[in-house]
Amino acid sequence: MSECIVITSGKGGVGKTTSTANLGVALALMGKKVAVVDADIGLRNLDVILGLENRIVYDLVHVIEGECRLKQALIKDKRVENLYLLPAAQTRDKNAVSPENMRDLVKQMKEDFDYILIDCPAGIEQGFKNSIAGADRAIIVTTPEVSAIRDADRIIGLCEAAELPEPMLIVNRFRAKLVKRGDMLNKDDILEILAIPLIGMVPDHEDVIVTSNKGYPAAFDDKSVVGEAYRRIARRITGEADVPFVALEEPDTVWSVMKRWMGLGPAKEVAS
Amino acid sequence: MMNLIERFFPMQRGGSKEDAKSRLKILLVHDQVDLTPSQMDAMRAEILEVIARYAEIEPTKVDLRLERGDDGINLVSSVAVRRVNARLAVGS
Repeated sequence: MSECIVITSGKGGVGKTTSTANLGVALALMGKKVAVVDADIGLRNLDVILGLENRIVYDLVHVIEGECRLKQALIKDKRVENLYLLPAAQTRDKNAVSPENMRDLVKQMKEDFDYILIDCPAGIEQGFKNSIAGADRAIIVTTPEVSAIRDADRIIGLCEAAELPEPMLIVNRFRAKLVKRGDMLNKDDILEILAIPLIGMVPDHEDVIVTSNKGYPAAFDDKSVVGEAYRRIARRITGEADVPFVALEEPDTVWSVMKRWMGLGPAKEVAS
Repeated sequence: MMNLIERFFPMQRGGSKEDAKSRLKILLVHDQVDLTPSQMDAMRAEILEVIARYAEIEPTKVDLRLERGDDGINLVSSVAVRRVNARLAVGS
């Protein structure tokens, strides 16, 4: 069975593209046949995060306008079997594509792929409408901040209105230290407010910047905590039950243990 | 001496997440309800006006707000009453 998942958030800069790239890699590493689609027409970035920017010949708009076949536009990632990118057009705008176009495209892609992940642009305009048109379900990315959660709530409402069943939540840029001292909303706070199921938490880690510099998503790296978080989300996407959450705690230091003994630090709390 | 202690054991900052949470709760309800703050104020004033016909209200102890419950938006209110104006209530 083939499934199309839109990765969306409302707010920009919360990690939609990074999440799409990493989940694409993680699912492909599990042996699934995956296409990641950049639906951010005019501001493409997924190609760069995946390190495939030099291999683009055709893009999504070319396919939709019939200038090339789908297979010609799909870029095969050489680092893993079965991962393909359909890049966005950089020199066109969102109106070059309609929701009907996207529905047709996804339908065609479902013949070849197990998972089609759509990287949705920020906002709630045309680009969002295009991105959700062909999707079977949505994953909402947010960060533990008021603005991002507010936008996530709005997007959840729009997904429900569009009859995308049960959107699920990724909480990105989680910082265990801030949560411990009460300066960051924790998992339960966010779930209480947004009231949708959680599919994963991703720590705020330098890996994300280093890997984006290199165009080599963290999910490829066995040792990366960010990569591990995305690999677990990928397992949950495939329906694997009871995938444990990674402990998102800062490692103990001699000093933090001493402080806790003396009652000076906060009680040890596992974040997820 | 205190300075020295604070240097070694920095004061625990924290708690700003409670601000985030309470702001978000109000924000999300209002995003959904689509009432402007002035409309909200007008509604509050009118509701209190009606209550005032029957009871004497303690104006500093009035809390009237929209909250998100499990099955939609709830109008939650807590109004402190000095005394119920029995004569007026019966007369109406």
